[in-house]
Amino acid sequence: MGAINGLLGLVTSVQPAASTPATAGAGALTSGGAIGGVGATPGTTGAAANQGFGDVVVKALDGLQSVQNNADGLAVKAATGDLNDVHNYTIAASEASLATDFTVAMRDRAVEAFQEIMRMQV
Amino acid sequence: MSLFPVFQTAGSGLHANRIWMDAVADNIANVNTIRPYDQAAFQTRWVQVQSVRGDSNDPVGVGGGVQVVAARFGSPEGVVHYDPTNPLANKDGLVRAPDVDLGDQMTQLIQAQRSYQLNLTVIDRARDSYLQAINIAAR
Repeated sequence: MGAINGLLGLVTSVQPAASTPATAGAGALTSGGAIGGVGATPGTTGAAANQGFGDVVVKALDGLQSVQNNADGLAVKAATGDLNDVHNYTIAASEASLATDFTVAMRDRAVEAFQEIMRMQV
Repeated sequence: MSLFPVFQTAGSGLHANRIWMDAVADNIANVNTIRPYDQAAFQTRWVQVQSVRGDSNDPVGVGGGVQVVAARFGSPEGVVHYDPTNPLANKDGLVRAPDVDLGDQMTQLIQAQRSYQLNLTVIDRARDSYLQAINIAAR
């Protein structure tokens, strides 16, 4: 029973973090600090694990944002004719798309795990 | 260290090969550039590259790609032609043509183009691999 409590605590504390990347796909990302609230309100039983997953999410979001900023900057450069290398933009765009896919996949898995636990007969 | 480091590495290869193609284009564009006898001829452009040290945080220690460090220049002597009708010719009728070997330049162009394509292929395959990794057990 203790194990299940721990798991539930982990999942409930993870859930807000998991919902945050949903905005990432829409490009409405604020800084990684926006989800610092997740780390600030750790679940009682899953505190340690929550910190780990929260860190991963924050790191991924930071990476995603910098990659998207990079791609955006290069897109502007391409539009204004300041782009030196065509592949710089396409690579950045491809990297941004991959990073978004990765973050969305992470969100999906977390939500999936949460729903799996919620379906459990108690 | 970025999440997908292969893009930077392969991108550096694309950049270096693009510069190489620029150098070849410059050489071919100037293949008929004639200079007076008392001046240096157009010098063939060569691109010098070197490998880039990898990220110091990377425990494995693979490199970080390639970078162009310098342009090197061929012979300023060029090839001395006898062409008395040329307005640039001196009193002996001599001018300097560039010492650009077109066959060599075309070979270099093919090499640069193929290397560029190789790096594009690396990016393509890496992207496919990353996507497949992201989609592991996805429903």
